[in-house]
Amino acid sequence: MSLDRQDLSGTASGTLSPQPGSSGNGGQNGNGQELMRSARFRQEREADWRRLEWLVLEAERKGLQRMGFADARDLASLYRQATTSLAIAREISLDKALLAYLEALTARAYLCVYAPQERLGGLVSRFLSHGAPQAMRRCWFYVLLGFLCMGLGVLAGYLLYFENTDWFYVFMPEELAGGRGPDATNDYLRSVIYDQDPESSGLGAFATYLFSHNTRIAIFVFGLGVFACFPAALLTFYNGLGLGAFYALHVERGLGFDLGGWLSIHGVTELSAICIACGGGLKLGVAMLFPGDLSRAESLRLAGRDAVKLALVAAIMLIAAALLEGFGRQLVQDMTTRYLIGWGVGGLWLAWFLLGGRSRR
Amino acid sequence: MIFRRWRERRRNLPSPDELLPPEGVALTLPIAGVGVRLGAQITDIIITLVAAICVVVLLLALDITGPQTIFVIGTLIFFLIRTPYYVLAELAWNGQTLGKRLMKIKVVSHDGGSLSAHAIVLRNLMKEAEVFLPATLLLTLDSASPIASILSLGWITVGLLVPIMDRYRRRLGDMMAGTHVIHLPVPLLLKDLASEAPAYGEKKQKFKFLTHQLDHYGAFELQTLETLLRSQSNPQSSSAAKQRDATIEAIVERIRKKIGYADPVPHADRVRFLKAFYNAQREHLEQRQLFGDRRENKHYAQSGEET
Repeated sequence: MSLDRQDLSGTASGTLSPQPGSSGNGGQNGNGQELMRSARFRQEREADWRRLEWLVLEAERKGLQRMGFADARDLASLYRQATTSLAIAREISLDKALLAYLEALTARAYLCVYAPQERLGGLVSRFLSHGAPQAMRRCWFYVLLGFLCMGLGVLAGYLLYFENTDWFYVFMPEELAGGRGPDATNDYLRSVIYDQDPESSGLGAFATYLFSHNTRIAIFVFGLGVFACFPAALLTFYNGLGLGAFYALHVERGLGFDLGGWLSIHGVTELSAICIACGGGLKLGVAMLFPGDLSRAESLRLAGRDAVKLALVAAIMLIAAALLEGFGRQLVQDMTTRYLIGWGVGGLWLAWFLLGGRSRR
Repeated sequence: MIFRRWRERRRNLPSPDELLPPEGVALTLPIAGVGVRLGAQITDIIITLVAAICVVVLLLALDITGPQTIFVIGTLIFFLIRTPYYVLAELAWNGQTLGKRLMKIKVVSHDGGSLSAHAIVLRNLMKEAEVFLPATLLLTLDSASPIASILSLGWITVGLLVPIMDRYRRRLGDMMAGTHVIHLPVPLLLKDLASEAPAYGEKKQKFKFLTHQLDHYGAFELQTLETLLRSQSNPQSSSAAKQRDATIEAIVERIRKKIGYADPVPHADRVRFLKAFYNAQREHLEQRQLFGDRRENKHYAQSGEET
């Protein structure tokens, strides 16, 4: 007899009427006894929880944007009710299963309610129109330091070459020089500058240049900045040394102006990208060295916002440089046009950094 | 000495599994470990790599690229596929890529607020810097430049060590974006034991417990008993059933002795006795809790004296 009753009560509590507030069988169990407080608490709210569970599944399947108005409204309000239920249940109930269920249900609903609502397109245009130029202006000092590291490197390399041409071999990696060195003939140097090789143009060349030496340098310079600035500054300086020596070699042969054009067309963009990446790295390094009142991790996180924007700017510039190098340099053979394109693009970058994202007054 | 102090300090910190949403009720969302995340990551890499290989084969078939530049173009296409993939997938599926969905893990905002698109973009771009760029460098560099190879290898190692050392298992990108990764909890509502348990035995005699008999146990013991009673409904083989019978008998005897329950409990009534005891004990403890007397476990009296 008692067994039958037990089964009955089991089914009764399993199939509660869906209306909220109607407490199934009047707050009693199958034996006609009054239920304990926590069991009544559960019985009164169970229908709402079930509905929330269904809404959460729906939201995860379809996405919040595609849910009906009533469902979305119910999801938010039922989620807040469920958090309240959870807070109360923690105080009054010792039913482990109930606590675990409410905990999981509330967490799932929380994840649905606080899902990202922004669109990606808006994010990209915001970055291009305000985020990046404003970050560049905020970090002007670090970017300047980056340019300074590179500039000093170029100067040192240039002067050292004239002191002793052997410095060239020290500063310039073998594979980068590509046979160009103090031993090379004038004609060979000229042929590299004005080489019209259709094979090395187009998509393949673009991809090759994108992963070329300078991109690696930019990546390392940014990443190594975290280690107390030093490696980033050193690497930029070293890169400048090579460039200075390389330039000095051509000046010595009377090819300085021609090399300037050959380098300008993509170099203005590419070398600036390295300097900006260096600026981002220095920003991170300074945050690591001098966190001020913050903890180091927190300071790094704050500095990271701007630093990452600088790195993104550098990445965009590197891609542009690879495009210029892959397509532009072989197609444009005229020296003045090369200068014009290179510095024109450089001026565009500068205009973007200086004028972008200023509020109109 | 230093290590012990460090461990002490760690113990005093709040549990990493807790997340405080704006509603102010702390939720328990267990942190996803490095292994699970690595699994999700490898799944994602395989998916994007297969897509990239398909595109490269297509390019080769259309005769757009030659064999000498195939490697760099492949790298470029892999990059162009995977970067939007991560960002778009996490935006579309609310912090889950396909690999994460497979592993049932999810990105959440570290401060309990809303997960912003900015955070998603940032953490996935940092993934490029942390994992893919050094990996690409490692693959493209040759033995002629050992320093660069060692550098990128060191970079990857540091990138892997950061989440292992962090309490929240965050990558560098997670730290910058203010996110961490959790296991998705599964809500499963089990039947309330208190709504079904009979207070009667086989012969309709009632199990009655007096107040002093219910003062021996705390919440921990109660919930252990709950787990045992719940596992009761699972079907089991005969040998396991026999073993379970013995366990139940031992538990019943233990409880009877502890609380001083004089009447013997017949064999058929043992589970019913436990259910009745569970009900009475839970009601009693919940009542005490409402009066501010929280009993964590059976040692509650001693710990109360200490404080």
